[in-house]
Amino acid sequence: MSSDSNYVHPEVLVSTEWVAEHYKDPSIRIIESNEDILLYDTGHVPGAVHIDWRRDLQDQLVRDYIQPSDFAALCSRHGITPETTCVFYGDKSNWWSCYALWVFRLFGHTKVKIMDGGRDLWISQGRPLTREVPNFSTSNYPVPTKRLDQEIRAFFEDTLKHSQQKLPLVDVRSPGEFSGEVTHMPDYPQEGVLRGGHVPGARGVPWKRAVNEDATFKSAAELRKIYQEELGLKPSDNVIAYCRIGERSSHTWFVLTYLLGFSNVRNYDGSWTEWGNRVGAPIERT
Amino acid sequence: MVILFFFLSFFLMSYPKKLAEIISLMEGLPEMERRETLVSYADQARKQEPREGEAFDLEDIRKDEECTDSVGVFLKVDEAGGCHFRIKLGPQVQTLTRAMTTILCKGLNGLTLEELQAVPQDFVPKIVGAELVRIRSHTVYYILTRMKSAAMVWKKRQVRE
Repeated sequence: MSSDSNYVHPEVLVSTEWVAEHYKDPSIRIIESNEDILLYDTGHVPGAVHIDWRRDLQDQLVRDYIQPSDFAALCSRHGITPETTCVFYGDKSNWWSCYALWVFRLFGHTKVKIMDGGRDLWISQGRPLTREVPNFSTSNYPVPTKRLDQEIRAFFEDTLKHSQQKLPLVDVRSPGEFSGEVTHMPDYPQEGVLRGGHVPGARGVPWKRAVNEDATFKSAAELRKIYQEELGLKPSDNVIAYCRIGERSSHTWFVLTYLLGFSNVRNYDGSWTEWGNRVGAPIERT
Repeated sequence: MVILFFFLSFFLMSYPKKLAEIISLMEGLPEMERRETLVSYADQARKQEPREGEAFDLEDIRKDEECTDSVGVFLKVDEAGGCHFRIKLGPQVQTLTRAMTTILCKGLNGLTLEELQAVPQDFVPKIVGAELVRIRSHTVYYILTRMKSAAMVWKKRQVRE
């Protein structure tokens, strides 16, 4: 299914060919998640449904994710059951699809995959797009009994403790953001962060190092070289990854957890927009 | 009710005529149709690009922090002082920005500099809907800002000359 069987969990990565062959399978739901809010409407993989990271997955009042009952309603609306294999893809080298996958995991949905190369690769290969929105029979997704907030998500206090204990912290933002030179990624709007820099002790490894030019993930050997040889991480390490709002770090969370098989990685979704604004939060600049 | 109608009519009339027509069209659409219409406007964005042989009084092509790709704004001011814009967008520019490009090129075409500067930006939520503004606020005002900025630069140059 994936191009590199040396990944620790190669089954979580599927190729565009695989999606083209399986998108009609009723046990599979193809899910597009993008930064560009109207991109799905301009054309998408046949049979794909649209889940927007902000509208569908985040609480609209409190800075948090939706409640378990909302997640159950979202899945039910798209005909998803706990047995459905959800295959995510999207723009921006699958940033947002990794983010959506991470939120699905947060609610305990286990059958998740990413289409390697995302939307860009699908299009560059000349595969079909449609504007037809599929209509699946509503399912009855049970309300998850808990969110895996302790297992795969880190909060400010967790990250602070991690920093103080000098445990592995991976800052996946651009070098300029890491150094404190800028407070947002190049070409993106300033989102009101008052201080630039990084969490003390964090190591900077931009998320983009994990992908090839065609938006596919790098090979297992290349990824091991970056995260294990260069950064010195071990698969058993207790790792927290963060970025600006938790989207790019979802990508790195996916790489570490599934492609390299790290057993204890958490995504700090509050990320720099929380840390850089927080009164009293320690900041390091290089 | 009559008073409310009067106020609404007056409010819409304060926008340029073509823009007011687009606002009126978009405001009445259900959400799904509004999105389809926005995509349709986005599909027409390439028609707003400069055409061969056209000359401009000001060309402002840049890639800055508010947008994910380069945006070129080309301004021609006619003898009566009317502003005519062409806009060229890089391939990574988001769909909502492409839609706003078509809407603004159509809706603001021919306005004088003063009329252009006087256009308030409060019409944007009426066109794209409050939800899209709320969840993607940084993309919806960008082109309007660039058009106004290009016009201001041209005006300053005229004063200097």
